[in-house]
Order: sequence, then C-alpha cells, then structure tokens
Amino acid sequence: MSAEPSQALVTLMTRPYRYIALEWNDELKALRLRTRVKPIQCYSLAAMGELQRVFTDLSESPGLVKHYVMTSDVPGVFNFGGDLSLFVLLIRARDVESLRMYGRRCVDLIWWMENASTLGIHTTVLVQGDTLGGGLESVMPFHKVVFERSAQAGFPEVLFNLFPGMGAWNFTIRKAGFSVANEMILSGKLYTAEQLYQRQLVDLVVDDGEGEAAVESVMRSVHPRLRGTLAALEARRRAAPITYEGLMEIVGQWVDSAMTLTDRDLRLMERLARAQARKAGGAAEGAVDEIKRIELDSAWGEERGTGITVWGGLGG
Amino acid sequence: MLPFFADLITRTDEARREFETNPVVLDAVAHGMPIERYRKLLLELYHLVWHFNPVCAAAASRVPDKLRQVRYFLYEHMHEESGHEQWVMNDLEAVGVRQAALLAHQPALTTLALTGYNYWAADRRDPCSVLGMMYTLEVIASVYGGTFAEAIRSSLLLEGDRGVSFISSHATMDAEHMAELRQVLNTVDDDAAREAIVESTLVNFHHFTRMFEAI
Repeated sequence: MSAEPSQALVTLMTRPYRYIALEWNDELKALRLRTRVKPIQCYSLAAMGELQRVFTDLSESPGLVKHYVMTSDVPGVFNFGGDLSLFVLLIRARDVESLRMYGRRCVDLIWWMENASTLGIHTTVLVQGDTLGGGLESVMPFHKVVFERSAQAGFPEVLFNLFPGMGAWNFTIRKAGFSVANEMILSGKLYTAEQLYQRQLVDLVVDDGEGEAAVESVMRSVHPRLRGTLAALEARRRAAPITYEGLMEIVGQWVDSAMTLTDRDLRLMERLARAQARKAGGAAEGAVDEIKRIELDSAWGEERGTGITVWGGLGG
Repeated sequence: MLPFFADLITRTDEARREFETNPVVLDAVAHGMPIERYRKLLLELYHLVWHFNPVCAAAASRVPDKLRQVRYFLYEHMHEESGHEQWVMNDLEAVGVRQAALLAHQPALTTLALTGYNYWAADRRDPCSVLGMMYTLEVIASVYGGTFAEAIRSSLLLEGDRGVSFISSHATMDAEHMAELRQVLNTVDDDAAREAIVESTLVNFHHFTRMFEAI
C-alpha cells in the first residue's frame, strides 16, 4: 500500500542529499533533479545511491510525480559518465565482483528510466555541457532529450580499449539504428548537439541559455495529453523491447573486457580522469580536450594504435 | 550485501577523490616537481616507510585470534616491506641528499600526525585499522605511483629507476598487493573492525593529502 501523496512528497523532498538537489513544481506535479557530484561530476557510487533513493521513493508512490526532469548544476558539464578512477582501482585490485556491482547499479537506474512510463511519469533531460560515456548512456532512456547548442557528447571508451556497457548499444540502436550505434561507439568520436540531432539521438536543440524555457515548454505541451503520450511511449517500448537481462549480459561482457585492460589502457583512463578533475578544479580545459589530445597521440602512435587516425571535426 | 572492500571504497570515495583532485597532486602527477620539492617529499616518505612495519607489528600483536588471517596477512606484508626504507635512502642519495641530512631531518607536522594516528589507532582504536592505512597507501601507489614516477623521471631528467626506485617499484608491486588486500578485507566480518578501517582510511587520505600539499 503506498503512502499518502502529501506525506510521500514530504519524505521525498526532505531526505538529506549531498550530490543532488530536488525541486518541486506543484502545478505540473514535476520533480526537477539537479546533479552536483563532488569532486567530479560523474556517476560515483555515492551519487548513484542518491539517485536510486529518489527512484525508489517515486516507485513507492505511483501518481505522485507526473514529470521528471534532470539537469546538471555544474557549469559546462552534464556528466562525465563512469567513475574512471574507481574503475582503475577496481581493475588493479582485480575486483570483478565490485565492477559487476557498479554495472548493475547503473543498469538499475537505466531500467527505472526505461519503465518510468509504467509509473505514469514522463521524463525530460536538459544537457547544457559535456556528457561522455556513461553520461550519454544515462541520457538515452529519457522520453525527451533536450541539448543546448554548445553541448558535446560521445562514447570515448574505445580510446582505452573498452566500450560503453550500460545501455549504449541498446538505446542507440533503438533510437537511431545500427549504423549510428556502430559509428558512435566504435569511433570514440565526440558529437555536437546538432550532429546528435541529425542522428535522432536528441529530440530538440536550442540555443545556449534557452534550455530551461524549452524544458518548461516540453512539460506544458505534454501535460494536457499525458496519459495518451505515456500509453504511446509504452507501446513504443514494447515495439522495440530492451530487457534487464539483456542489459546485464552486456555488463558482464563489459566487466570481462575491463579485466583485460593493459597498464597502458589504464594510464589512458587515468589521463581522462585527471582531465575531469582539472575541469572540476576550474580549469578551462577538461576531458573533452584530453580526448582530442589522446586522439592525436594515438594517430601519431605515441600511446597506442586505436585504429582511429582522423579527428572528426566538431562542426557540421 | 556489498563485499566489505566495495563498501570501503564507497564510504571513503570522497576522501580518495579529494586526494586525486587536489591541485598540487594533479600538477605533480602531470608535470613532476622541482628537485627541492621532490627531496622534501622523499624525506617525509622516509618517515612513513620507516614506521610502516612497527605500526603493522603493533596491530598484529593485538589482532584477535578470530581474525588470524589478518595477522598472517600483516606478517607477510611486513616481510615484503622490510628494508624498503633503504630504497628511499638510495633515492635521496641519487637526488643529492646525504644520509646525515636524512637522519637530521625533522618530519613535518602532518607526517607526525599521520604516523601518530596510525600507532594510536592500532594500539587504542582497533588493530584492524592498520588495513585502512595499507589501503590508502596502496591506492596512492598503485593508481598514481607509476604516472608520478614517470613525471618525476622526465621533469628531473633521471635515468632508469635512479632516484625513483621506491615509487616506481611500489607502483607495480602494489597492484598485486591491492588484490591481496581486497581478499583479506572481504574476510573482516566484525562491525567495529570495519568501522575502524573506514575511519583510518579517511584519516590517512586526509593527512597524506595535507603532507603532499605542504612539501
């Protein structure tokens, strides 16, 4: 039996969170979740624990929330994705069990997003900065994906001999088809908001600073026909099904691949992790710039051959 | 239920990441450091290394029989670490610090605080707290040691392992140690011991970061 909505709302909104902040719009029954993970805006275990707490609260109170919106409070960064330094640590400790646990926690979050329509919740995400790897994977299951024009995204994992293992293949194939998934995941390239829109992974691109208004507009246009929209989205989900078991099978393969990474691969991963930390410390350059440098190094054979010798220009 | 190693990582995640995102640490890992600062770092490391085995021994003497696997782990680890202070002395010699200067060196307050805490925790808190010290040092060595050694080698134009033998060899060795430490941590099923390990990890990361900042 679910709790009374008012009590459930109080419980939801008053929990002490460190890495997220919640806002409530009573008119639209909209929950806004802002992420601000310290010291690096990525999916750390602690941050994922807080997200899961929110999702559990929402699952236990069906009907409480009609719209769920996710944004980032960190300027220039939506999310850097997986906790790379944690991966390095677990791989060096040969901790297969904890890596799998990390993957399962990611999949649990994605699976909740995938099933949000069954809870009567429409989901919207606003991306206003860099989003890499797991950050982009986490965006994919949202019903509406809004990017501001300067945002960039991609799956750089192939640069350190890994692949995005928490839903990237499933959701990219569903939204954009095999060829786009192949291109994006196997190249490791970064894409502009416009390029992602052309590939149908982003539903709406707006000028910088107009994202908030766009999200408001999305919610207001969906709200009067919410039940029909969610029913249609539920049918879409059934038409192109993704299963929890299928997602976890890929996590298993991701863990196996991670355990085969060489010291050189791990050092590349560490380079990216340090670049994320520099950006978190206020530097102008961050992980995106480091990816470009790794690409160039790779092309010149200074790190290792990734098979990628052309840096995909960000324009057009 | 999470294995304790994963629980430890989660609960000390922020302290670990505060170390790795510290601007001084980031800069040192990326660009190395001037020779004077590297000398200071080695001088402080010497004291940590010199006290490592006595802290482990103090802990081993108090580990209860029900955690005998921890005691044996400490024995083996002490055996492996024995004499490593000589590696630091050799590195100091290679960068121009004579033994007399090393022996006359007064450790920094943060180094004293770190070693003092580790003795106190092993003696008064819980002997398993020593595993928090080991976890911290091995994270630092295995994740950052190799890159840091390369940065130092390149910024100070050192040849081979000359001057960086301690950091360089621990980077490789501690990857093995980390796997062994994970196994032993997952056998600790006593709640008080687990809490002590978490606290010790937080304190060690905190003091180690401060020590790095101060040199």
